[in-house]
Amino acid sequence: MSQRILVVDDDDALREMVGLVLSGAGYEPAFAADGLSAITAFSDSNPDLVLLDIMLPGQSGIEVCEQIRSVSGVPIIMLTAKGETEDVVRGLEAGADDYVVKPHNGAELLARIKARLRPLSEEGGSIQIGILSLDPRSFEVKRGDTKISLTPLEFKLLHTLATKPQQVFSREMLLEQVWGYQYKADTRLVNVHVQRLRSKVEIDPENPKIVMTVRGHGYRVGTETA
Amino acid sequence: MKRLRKSLTAKAVLATLGFSLVALITLGGFLSFSLANSFYQNRLEQVLSETERAIGSVQNTVAAAALTDETALQNLINSVVPSLQITGASANRQVALLRSPGQAQLELFQSPISPDLDLASIPEALREQVRANPDVLSYTPITLKRGDVSFPGVTVGAPITIPLAGSFELYLVFDLSPEQEALALVQNALLIGGVFLIFIIGGVSYLVTRRVVRPVEQAAAAAELLAEGQLDERLAERGSDVIAQLARSFNKMAGNLQQQIQKLDSLSRMQRRFVSDVSHELRTPLTTIKLAGEVLFGNRERLEPALSRSAELMQAQIERFELLLADLLEISRYDAGAVQAELELRDLNAVVGAAIASIEPLALSMDTPIEIDLPAQPVEAEVDAKRIERLLVNLLSNAVEHGEGKPIRVEVSQNQQAVAISVTDSGVGMTKQQLERIFDRFWRADPARQRSVGGTGLGLAIAREDAILHRGWLQVWSKPKRGSSFRLTLPKRAEVVIASSPLPLPPRSVEP
Repeated sequence: MSQRILVVDDDDALREMVGLVLSGAGYEPAFAADGLSAITAFSDSNPDLVLLDIMLPGQSGIEVCEQIRSVSGVPIIMLTAKGETEDVVRGLEAGADDYVVKPHNGAELLARIKARLRPLSEEGGSIQIGILSLDPRSFEVKRGDTKISLTPLEFKLLHTLATKPQQVFSREMLLEQVWGYQYKADTRLVNVHVQRLRSKVEIDPENPKIVMTVRGHGYRVGTETA
Repeated sequence: MKRLRKSLTAKAVLATLGFSLVALITLGGFLSFSLANSFYQNRLEQVLSETERAIGSVQNTVAAAALTDETALQNLINSVVPSLQITGASANRQVALLRSPGQAQLELFQSPISPDLDLASIPEALREQVRANPDVLSYTPITLKRGDVSFPGVTVGAPITIPLAGSFELYLVFDLSPEQEALALVQNALLIGGVFLIFIIGGVSYLVTRRVVRPVEQAAAAAELLAEGQLDERLAERGSDVIAQLARSFNKMAGNLQQQIQKLDSLSRMQRRFVSDVSHELRTPLTTIKLAGEVLFGNRERLEPALSRSAELMQAQIERFELLLADLLEISRYDAGAVQAELELRDLNAVVGAAIASIEPLALSMDTPIEIDLPAQPVEAEVDAKRIERLLVNLLSNAVEHGEGKPIRVEVSQNQQAVAISVTDSGVGMTKQQLERIFDRFWRADPARQRSVGGTGLGLAIAREDAILHRGWLQVWSKPKRGSSFRLTLPKRAEVVIASSPLPLPPRSVEP
């Protein structure tokens, strides 16, 4: 069964064209033309991934992103007409996993989609970080007996860090291993998602014990068991 | 002191005081001199007539007495001569009857002399003059001493013949100290008056200047504030004199300026809005065109030859169009002042390395070697690495394009304040006229030349904006057939103003 992708864009021609590109690559596209219908389309089509334009009539892409995030961890890739800082950061903070700047080419778009739909290579059993346990087979994270719900991207980020607890991961390394970027990309992707991850797994996000910052280098998982 | 020199009021008051002082001193000196002169002349006339009377009375008394014996004569002289003496506070006159030298008679005769008369008051020169001119009164100004105090005086003398006794000279020594005192009083009054006058002139000139200068100073301060961007600054308009005229003109100017700036401001805002709108409006259809073009291009083998070639051409031109649009939007953002550098401390060696890595495929395809001269230690500076890398890629691709396959040299260096990167080719180079236009938009050194690298014509214009954004320099040296060298100099810290570049231009590798 092919994977379903919801395309939310107010431009009819672009929506149709993206649909053609996706069909050509073997995906099954679904469409929504504005923010309000996007939510309905999302629950109707139950997609595996959402391509979301930021500038939408009615309800902005940022709001749509927040609403989808509140019910689902489905990968969301923003389409933005401008690589302007504010929009990108707001979108990422609202829960988008990645973004593509228009005008993009088909290969670029498909590569981003593929990276987000690639299943985790879940070898090995569950991993323990302090009081947190990760189960790669069920994508479950538990603090003691409490289940913590992470998006696949957040899980992958935490899992990547946890597999090598001794190693400090630079932002560039994380972009390559978690997001699948082969070359330099926007390191804000990492910064924003580490913040989101901390807000979920840390007891005190201001004073992280699980995802630690190594100043000037990057991140590693906390080794203390406290 | 500096403030004093800057203050217009102080300058005006000081100048007025200076001129007034000179005028007053001249006037006072003249007054004092002519007063002294006229005092002296008056007194002298008086003195001479007094002397004449005195001599006359002595002569008459002696003649009328018709004396025959010496004792009587001596007695008479002893009573007459001292009676000429006057002692008092208002006038002081001493007298001396001196016997002319060279006579044999009456050795015993005593010449009467005022008791406190200093004979030095009757100089020998005067005595000779008296003997030489027996018909007139001779006089000379002298200096008298009373204790330690000296004061002016005048000695008048005349010859007098005394029967039985022979030739004598009668001298009257007049004390001029009352006149001296009177003169001193007047001079003092003049001095005090002068000092008062100076103060009054100073005060008046201060007040007058203040009245004129204050509005000017206010205008200057307001202009300063206006220049700093406080466009609401205005002057008070009072009255109808030239000062009020100044205020009105100033306010009018400020008003116009404010209007113009607000107009420009709103234009600039509109421009930014426009750029942002164009950005969105153009990018969406361009994305569709691009995706569609790719689909056609990807399936060109399945098309007829003409259609297939069309797909190829379209694909290439879409890419060119996209680059052009990106550059246009970038330069518009600079024009609208909407660009902000995201500065962070970076090792320029790494940025240069990245730029070279991304140009390497092109250099290889053009068979152009790139020689690199990087310092061993890190070259750190606060830069927007993305922009600097783009700038360097631009310089490198120009060098490859115009380098005719000869080696391209990249140098990096630093000093205390600045870092510099130079990109030098040994290719076609440019003439002076071409150099002048090198940073112009859409300008190409040689329009007829076949372009191997698809530049947009905006690359160097953007590169220069990027350099300016960093408060740095982008400079170029070029000679036809010798090659070109671009040198980028950037401050290490954003707040530093660079004074010199660590690298020479033209570079050392170029023979002068």
